[in-house]
Amino acid sequence: MKKHRPHRRTRIARPTENSSTVFLVLRRMRAPLIVLILIFAISVFGLTLIPGQDADGNPVRMGFFDAFYFMSYTATTIGYGEIPHPFTGAQRLWVTLTIYLTVIGWAYAIGSLLATLRDRAFREALALRRFTGTVRRLREPFLLVVGYGQTGQMLGQALDALGRRFVVVDNSAEHVDTLDIDPYVADVPGLVADAANPHTLGVAGIEHPACEGVVALTDNDEVNLIVAMTAALIRPGLPVIARTVSPAIEHRMHAFGSPTVVNPFDRYGDHLRLALHAPSAYLLMSWLVRGEGAEMPAPGRPPATGRWVVCGFGRFGHKLIEDLRADHLEVTVIDLNPEAEPGLTMIEGDASEPSVLAEADLATAAGFVAGTDNDATNLSLVAAARKENPALFIGARQNRPPSAPLFAAMEIDWLLVPSEMAAREIYARLSTPLLWRFLQEMPELGEEWAADTLERMQAYCGMRLGPVWKVNLTEQEAPGVRPWLGAGITLGDLLRSPGDRERRLDAVPLMLLRDGETTLRPDDDVTVTTGDQLLLVGRGRTPRALLDTLTNRVVAEYVLTGRHIPAGWVAQRVTGRIPASPD
Amino acid sequence: MSLEKVIFGFFVLLAATLNFGFFIGDISDAALHNEYELFAAVVVNLIATVLKFGDRTQIGAVHLATSLVADLQLIAATITWVYATQISGAGMTPENTASVVSLSGGALLANLVSVALLVIETTTFRRR
Repeated sequence: MKKHRPHRRTRIARPTENSSTVFLVLRRMRAPLIVLILIFAISVFGLTLIPGQDADGNPVRMGFFDAFYFMSYTATTIGYGEIPHPFTGAQRLWVTLTIYLTVIGWAYAIGSLLATLRDRAFREALALRRFTGTVRRLREPFLLVVGYGQTGQMLGQALDALGRRFVVVDNSAEHVDTLDIDPYVADVPGLVADAANPHTLGVAGIEHPACEGVVALTDNDEVNLIVAMTAALIRPGLPVIARTVSPAIEHRMHAFGSPTVVNPFDRYGDHLRLALHAPSAYLLMSWLVRGEGAEMPAPGRPPATGRWVVCGFGRFGHKLIEDLRADHLEVTVIDLNPEAEPGLTMIEGDASEPSVLAEADLATAAGFVAGTDNDATNLSLVAAARKENPALFIGARQNRPPSAPLFAAMEIDWLLVPSEMAAREIYARLSTPLLWRFLQEMPELGEEWAADTLERMQAYCGMRLGPVWKVNLTEQEAPGVRPWLGAGITLGDLLRSPGDRERRLDAVPLMLLRDGETTLRPDDDVTVTTGDQLLLVGRGRTPRALLDTLTNRVVAEYVLTGRHIPAGWVAQRVTGRIPASPD
Repeated sequence: MSLEKVIFGFFVLLAATLNFGFFIGDISDAALHNEYELFAAVVVNLIATVLKFGDRTQIGAVHLATSLVADLQLIAATITWVYATQISGAGMTPENTASVVSLSGGALLANLVSVALLVIETTTFRRR
C-alpha cells in the first residue's frame, strides 16, 4: 500500500514588523538628540556659573531653574528678555555663544527628523505596516491579485464594480499607484514588493482565513509559477488562477495542486476555430464575458476557410497553427529561422521583405495572421498583405497597450490583445463560476442553438447585456417558494412578474444545474425542485423582482397560484386567507 | 574594542556614579547634596537613554526601560527641587531635601540595574 506522508500546514514565518518604524526613527535620532542635550546642558551650566548682578548691584548667581527657563525660551527663539535681572557683560557674552549653539542644535535635530520621515526606507516601512494592518482587518472574502499591469487593472476594475474585495501586490510602484488614481468603490490595499518572495504573499494575506483565491498576473511567467507554487504549498486547496504564455511553465504549474492556467495565446486559436464553425456561439461567448452593460459585439467577418499564411512561429504561432491544422486548414509559415515541421510549408526569411512575402503567394490565400512580438512589424505586415490581396481575412497580435488605436485604425478582422483576453476569461471564471461552465458547454450545442439564444437574449435584455446572476433554490436562499418546490412548479411559473403574473420577467435562464448535471437554456416548462441552481441573464431590475418572489411568501403565493393574500398576520386571520403551509 | 561600546559603557557608568554621588549623605541635610551634581546626573542620564534608542534586542529593550525609569525619577526629583526653591518659598527644608534625595535614590536603583545589565551583556558576549 502506498504510504501517505502526513500533511501539516506550513506557515510563513513573518518577521515582526510592528515596532520597526518607531525603532528606525529612534536610531536615526540618536546623534541629533545627544547633541541637543549636550548643548543645553553646557549652556545652562555656564549660565549658573557666570556671576550676575541684581538691581542693587549685589553679585548674584543664576539658579538652575532660571537658567533652564532662560535657555528654553532663547533656544527656541521665543525670547522673553533677560531675567531675573538684566545681564552683565560676561553673561551676555556667554548667552551670545549659546544662542548660536542652540540654533545649530535645533536645526540639526529638526533637519534629521524631517530627513528620516522623508527617507525611502522609512516610508516603505510605514507603507508596509499600514498595508499589513489593512489586510489583517479585512473581514470580507478577498482575492489576492499578484501583478497589477494591464490585465490586472482591467480585472480589478471589473471585480470592484461587482463589489468584490481584493488585495494587490506588484513590484512596480507605478502600477500600485493606479489604485490611488483610478476610481474604486472599495478601498484596495496595494503593496510594492517582489511577489517571488513568499513572505510578501504572507504579508498580503495568503494565510488570511478570508482569502478566497490567488490570481497571478505578472508579466513574468517564472514569478507566476512561484506564486502558484507558494499558494499550493502554503494553502493547499486555495483556488489559484495563473496566466502564462509558455506551455512549459503551464506544465510545471500543474505539478502543484490544480491551478487554473490561462494562456491567451492558446485561447486565440480556440476562439478562431469556434468562430469558424459557429459564429453565433462565438458572438454569444464574447458578449457574455464582457460583463454587465456591454453592447452586443458586432458580428464581424467570419474567418475564411482556405490557405492561411502565418508570420511568426514563436509560442503564439505554434499554438495558432496547432488549432488551424486541427481544422485541416493548409498553413504557410514565414519566420526568420523556422524549425521544420512535417505538413507545413515553411518560408525562411524576414516577412517584411517584399520578396519573402511574394513567395507566400498571398493572392491565393484566404487568411493572414501577423503574429510577431513587435507591433510595428505586425502593422506593416498587415498593410503589405492587404495591398497584395484586399480580400484577405486579417488576424494580428497587439503586444503593447499604447498601440491599440493603430490596430483599431487598421480594422483588423481578428485582433489578439493578450492582456484583455486573459482579463475577460479570469473575470468570467471569478464573477460567476456557473457562467464559465455554461461557456464551456455551450459550443457543443451548435450554431443554430446559439443563434436562437442570442435572439432571445436580445428580445429580453435589449442590446446591452443585463446582469448575469445565479439563483440557488435552497431553503435558505428561497424560503418564499419552499412550499411549492417539489410540488411540480415550472421555471415559467417562477419567472412570472410579481407585479402582474400574466407577464413574464425579462430574463433568460441560461443554465440549470441539478446534482452536477446541467441543462443549457432550460425551457419554461421544466420543473424545478429544491437544490437546483439557475444561471439567468436579464434586465436591470429583474434580479430584484425574482428575489422578491423567492423570499416573500405572500409574493410567491400570488406569482405561483394567483391568490392574493394580505401581508399581515391579523389581516390574514380576519379575511381567512392564510398562506400555504410550509409542509 | 569598539569605540561605540566604550562610549556606551562610559555614559551608563557615569550616570550611575553621578547619581550615587548626589544620593550619598544624610538624607535630610541639604548641605550634603549638591545641585550641580543633580544637574549633571540628569544630563548624563538623558544622554545614556538616547544612546540606548533603537536597539531591538531583548537586553536592549530592558536597558532602555531602566534608563527611562531613572530619567523619570531624576526629573521628578528636579521638579520637587524647583517646587521647593521657587514656588513654595519654603526653600530646602529637611522634608523637601529628603524627598528630592529619596527620589534620586530610586533612580540610583534603576541605574544599578542598568550597570548590572551592562556587566551581564559583557560577560555573555563571545567573539566568534
